[in-house]
Amino acid sequence: MSEIDIQHINKRFGKVEALKDINLTVEAGEVFGLVGPDGAGKSTLFNILTTLLLPDSGSATILGMDIINDYLQIRRSIGYLPGVFSLYPDLSVQENLDFFAAMYKSSIRDNMNIIKPIWDQLLPFKDRPAGKLSGGMKQKLALCCALIHKPSLLFLDEPTTGVDPVSRREFWDILKDIQHKGVTVVVSTPYMDEATRCDRIALIQNGNIIEINTPNNIIANFKGHLCTMPTSDIFGLMKIMDRFELKCNYYPYGEHFHIVFYDDIKKALPAFEQFLEKNGRVHGEISSIQPNIEDCFIELIQMKL
Amino acid sequence: MRVILMLIKKEFLQVFRSPLLLSILIVAPMVQFILFPFTADYEIKVLDIAFIDNDNSTLSHNLINEFSASKHFRSKGIIDSKSYADKLMKADKIDFLVEIPLDFEKHLICQDGTTIAITANAINTVKAGIGCGYVQTVIGDYLKEISENTGLTTLSNTAQLFTTNIYWYNEQMNYRNLIVPGILVILVTLIGAYVTALNLVREKEIGTIEQINVTPIKKWQFLLGKMIPFWILGMAEFILGLILMKIIFGINVQGSIPALLCITAIYLLVMLGLGFFISAVSENQLQAMFIVFFLFIVFVLLSGLFTPTEGMPEWAEKINYLNPMSFYMEVIKKMVLKGCQWADLKYQTIVLSVMAVILNSAAMLSYKDSSK
Repeated sequence: MSEIDIQHINKRFGKVEALKDINLTVEAGEVFGLVGPDGAGKSTLFNILTTLLLPDSGSATILGMDIINDYLQIRRSIGYLPGVFSLYPDLSVQENLDFFAAMYKSSIRDNMNIIKPIWDQLLPFKDRPAGKLSGGMKQKLALCCALIHKPSLLFLDEPTTGVDPVSRREFWDILKDIQHKGVTVVVSTPYMDEATRCDRIALIQNGNIIEINTPNNIIANFKGHLCTMPTSDIFGLMKIMDRFELKCNYYPYGEHFHIVFYDDIKKALPAFEQFLEKNGRVHGEISSIQPNIEDCFIELIQMKL
Repeated sequence: MRVILMLIKKEFLQVFRSPLLLSILIVAPMVQFILFPFTADYEIKVLDIAFIDNDNSTLSHNLINEFSASKHFRSKGIIDSKSYADKLMKADKIDFLVEIPLDFEKHLICQDGTTIAITANAINTVKAGIGCGYVQTVIGDYLKEISENTGLTTLSNTAQLFTTNIYWYNEQMNYRNLIVPGILVILVTLIGAYVTALNLVREKEIGTIEQINVTPIKKWQFLLGKMIPFWILGMAEFILGLILMKIIFGINVQGSIPALLCITAIYLLVMLGLGFFISAVSENQLQAMFIVFFLFIVFVLLSGLFTPTEGMPEWAEKINYLNPMSFYMEVIKKMVLKGCQWADLKYQTIVLSVMAVILNSAAMLSYKDSSK
């Protein structure tokens, strides 16, 4: 049986449809990523799954328990790291941990084996008020608090938002370690690069789930042919592109311009070069590249429209 | 049990780690006790007084000397005309003018009645009103003295007439005894409602409530874990207040102290419930603060601390049945000053208990541990 089984969940806030007919399952032992931009509905879905919010319609089971009727049992067996830091800033690292351990009738020592890697990093700061920790350390403490009762399912709502790249990498290493200890992890992130570290991801946009698959399959399913070129005139290019007659998709990507061709590349590429020349655009070398998860996400959204 | 103990421990850790809250808890009652009774004192220290003596007799001279001897009056001497008195009063040189009529002595001896005119500067009505009382008291004392010396019975009747004023005068002298217990009430109310409401809303603001909500602890455990620490703090604050009252003003509790502590404990539960309820309906500390402040002002004004409840219109008195502070104020005044016992305050105790149950149930119901 799946660890999480969501059936037709809808949630609306006033006029805004936050979640539209969400269906998904999460299997035991996997790291499942919920990937999407801000406002896509990730946090709403998390709040429903962690029994903080009721769905308008639809049902879901977590570890076989119903989110509405068995919410107290669910709370005992899940860990939740909210999107904003929500530990007591005036209590020390140790006091926060002791406090949340007691809320689950557990203790730091009982679950040392699962929190040890994080606890070792926190140990030098154990008497420091939580509010005075660095961003990365705060997240590690919050993770520690979420794991303190040895949950079988861990929810992390954007755990790496606002955390520096080095700490982000460390954080993901810790998540992998937690996974190896038998905890199923559901994590949301707006960062596409982190999506590839998940076993499976769901791409979510405007309350809809666009795709659920492994990152590799998503990349393999990329339909078009992706090319990139360096340019200093992205704005100018964007303006003229609607005059290009072949079917394509284009978007700025950092200092590069990404263009996806859906026709035969042998014809499309020379046609595109000709088009640029005709419009007097200076450009760097156009090269074919492998799409990454972000390119796939953009393509999937385009196809949905 | 362990969960609740941990919640209590956490609350105390936070209180003792917050220098601001701690200093508010300790310094605020001291400042209130030291400053408040003196600012709210209606007693007038010294009044400047002048006289017009139309009689110029022994008795009228004696009466004027009587004023000079009083510690409340500073005599500015005998003057000739009312117009000059007017000038003096306009220049704020005198507060009172006492005009002794012609044949004052003769009328007194013949016992056919006479009138002494007292003119007061009524710019400050409180000062004028109280001062008039003082003047009448001095005259009354004087007449009583004459009647005792001469055995003139009607004069002593007149003096009798003044006894109400003497009582009034004494009450003003003891005004501090009324305001100081009132400060105790304010202290307990502030801890109960204010600090609790702000504390709980803060958990909402910084998001810790969300982290607590995903734990399996139950609503009543959480609220009890909040209630007990603030209840203890409130009781400690009350006892500190009682000690300060004894040290600074020498006011002893006349009634039974265990009964007083019991009723205070119940009143604190009312205020804690109110604080919780307010925190449940407000989204941030600012909202909570405004609601508590509004209620606090209404409670204080209706409670009869500054103005006597007897002077209020009937509808205001009816509203007062909803005002827990007015019941508690009555308890405190009766316990501290009058020396009442449990039995005398049964009614107030029952009303406060009912209020405690209602407010805390309301808080329980309105506090959400999820959107269920």
